[in-house]
Amino acid sequence: MQAIIDWVDKRLDLSGIRHFVQEKGVPIHAQKIWYYLGGMTLFLFAVQVASGILLLLYYRPSASEAYESVQFIVTQVEFGWLIRNVHSWSANLLIGAAFAHLFSVFFLKAYRYPRELTWVSGVLLLFLMLGFGFSGYLLPWNELAFFATKVGTGIAGAVPLVGPALMHFLRGGEDVTGATLSRFYALHVAILPAITTVLVGLHLLFVQRQGMSVPVSVARRLKRGERLKEMPFFPDYILRDVLVWYVAIALLAALAAFYPWELGRKADAFAPVPPGIRPEWYFLAMFHTLKLLPAHILGLEGEMLGVVAFGAAAGLLLLVPFLDRRAARDEPSPLFTALGVGALIYFIALTIIGHLAS
Amino acid sequence: MTRNSEVTGAILIGLILVLTPQRLAAQAPADGCVSCHAGLPQPALSSPAAAFRGDIHDQRGFRCVDCHGGDPTTQDKAQAKAPGTGYRGKPEGQQIVATCARCHSDAGFMRKYAPALRVDQATEYATSVHGMRLAAGDAKVATCASCHHAHGIRQVKDARAPVFPTNIASLCATCHSDAGHMKGYTLPGGSPIPTNQREEYEKSVHFTALAKQNDLSAPTCNDCHGNHGAAPPGVGAISNVCGTCHAVFAEKFALSAHSQIFDRACIECHSNHAVLTTSDAMIGTAKDAICSECHTEKDDAGFVGAERMRASIERLKSALDANTALIASVRNEGMEVSDQELALSELRTKLTQARTEIHAFDPAALDLIVNEGMKGLSAVEQAGNQAVADLRFRRRGLFVSFGAILLVVIGLALKIRQLDRQH
Repeated sequence: MQAIIDWVDKRLDLSGIRHFVQEKGVPIHAQKIWYYLGGMTLFLFAVQVASGILLLLYYRPSASEAYESVQFIVTQVEFGWLIRNVHSWSANLLIGAAFAHLFSVFFLKAYRYPRELTWVSGVLLLFLMLGFGFSGYLLPWNELAFFATKVGTGIAGAVPLVGPALMHFLRGGEDVTGATLSRFYALHVAILPAITTVLVGLHLLFVQRQGMSVPVSVARRLKRGERLKEMPFFPDYILRDVLVWYVAIALLAALAAFYPWELGRKADAFAPVPPGIRPEWYFLAMFHTLKLLPAHILGLEGEMLGVVAFGAAAGLLLLVPFLDRRAARDEPSPLFTALGVGALIYFIALTIIGHLAS
Repeated sequence: MTRNSEVTGAILIGLILVLTPQRLAAQAPADGCVSCHAGLPQPALSSPAAAFRGDIHDQRGFRCVDCHGGDPTTQDKAQAKAPGTGYRGKPEGQQIVATCARCHSDAGFMRKYAPALRVDQATEYATSVHGMRLAAGDAKVATCASCHHAHGIRQVKDARAPVFPTNIASLCATCHSDAGHMKGYTLPGGSPIPTNQREEYEKSVHFTALAKQNDLSAPTCNDCHGNHGAAPPGVGAISNVCGTCHAVFAEKFALSAHSQIFDRACIECHSNHAVLTTSDAMIGTAKDAICSECHTEKDDAGFVGAERMRASIERLKSALDANTALIASVRNEGMEVSDQELALSELRTKLTQARTEIHAFDPAALDLIVNEGMKGLSAVEQAGNQAVADLRFRRRGLFVSFGAILLVVIGLALKIRQLDRQH
């Protein structure tokens, strides 16, 4: 092994990488457990890429073949069931991990100066993950996904001014058809991965350049000139990361074996809408909020106002580091903590209510 | 013309337009029959005037005089019914049929009001038991007005009409369930006509479909007996009557040995008015099986055939049940078995086909269908068992991988502890 490294080193000069590996450290403090969430999200994304590529070998993106090809994957292809179930479960765990990572970074105020761009790229990555989830949900072309996509793209139609055009663009026509499937497929396997690769690269670059953020409370306890004790990233911390990833693999395998992802019935545009149409759990809070809104508020369409409010909330989420001036000065910012707690409670409560209501 | 004179002219024209219809209406002749009868104290004389309001004939512009004759332009009773006015009074018996037939048997006339309506009701009625008895002088039998009413007649499609499908059983029962009314009427064999048809019918699958499931295509009295030509279907006609709806059963039955033996065809096993829900228990040689009523000897070909047919049906049924349970259980475990579910729903039609084939009473023909079904079920069973084996494999594999993962995790934990000690 060392001989190979030396061989490459002589030709490419690995001193920069060697230096990085030797120098990179992770601060040791009570809240360091939250540092694992970023690595977990990245690991699950890697699982998605690997399992997604394997699914591509058999998946056929057309209204007449998509369902049958997924059916073929889970029934005929050797270990196809495992790959498909891991891909479906990992997608959900990935979004769960991304949300947990976002909230942990939020509450630790890790977005504060000088890590604003890391936060912005991270929030954009979360939006991309939601895009992956929304586009991937339709790909098996089953009944539930078909009608949920109809509802989901219909909500996009409520965006002021550009709504109808946006809905038309998403659907590739007036209604959800094979054309929608084609463009969701293109989004899912080409457009979103390309953007995500760039953003993940930037996000990791920012993290490596700036190192791990230390929570405000920990930073304030340090005496002038005092440095927090650090653990070497290689191999101490990475081994811990790998250990957690192994646990995630065990969890994915158990979910795939005991709770295979249901394929349901093939989508039929002429069939009556089946009961229990609802989006994936991570859209449920938004979906249920829109359902609870009255048809008209102050003479404006309730759904449109809801969509505008969610758009505004997404914008505010991106701008958090620039709005929280107290955190930027390494001071506690209880207002933002309270807003975060409120948002988290709202998200969990509406997800549960939406789940029970449908 | 000045502006003032233009305005005056417009007002005058307006007044003429507004007042003219009222003047015309005031000049229209009043219907003396209605105005006089409506005020009479005897209900028998006043109720027809009230019932006629809303009658289909009233809606089409017919008046009392069209059926009863007389002069409606006068308010004087004697003048209204004077000779020369064509006054016919209240028609009775054959007169009722003749009165209705004046219009309803005239195709040219009916075309102006209800072109799709048949015009052979009177001809049919003459062939009915009611019509023949009436012609023989029996005044108790039903005529047109008995079923449709004389006044207040509504179209058949009107749910309030006594002849609307869901009301027909009650309508017929008015006379046929009245033992007093039916006294003296006998069947061709001489036995009294029973009066329990309605109670019997209400036990039937036909009544359930019609009255409880609101299926207006389900049969009621007139669908088997005819309406205007009402008569019990003749002995040889029963399978034709039932076969109107149950075409395949009738076709199978016609080919069977029983079609030559069963005098009362379908009724022999299924009854007439109380057509109950069928069950596989009807076939076979058990105590409650219908076959055993005739086929009592064990060496009788019919006995052997009945036993074989029941066994074949049960074989298909139990295989269907077992495979349905197998596929449902692996589906609950999350396995993809939609192909097998589709196959099962197709194979269930084999059971229906087999039950239909029973009516040919040919065990060999039945076995052909049952064996086809069993072949399909065997493929389903194989796929179901494969799914069960796959499930076991997955779970065994999971535990093996858990073991491997656990070893790696322990190794990592030990390495981490070692590193921590070094630092």
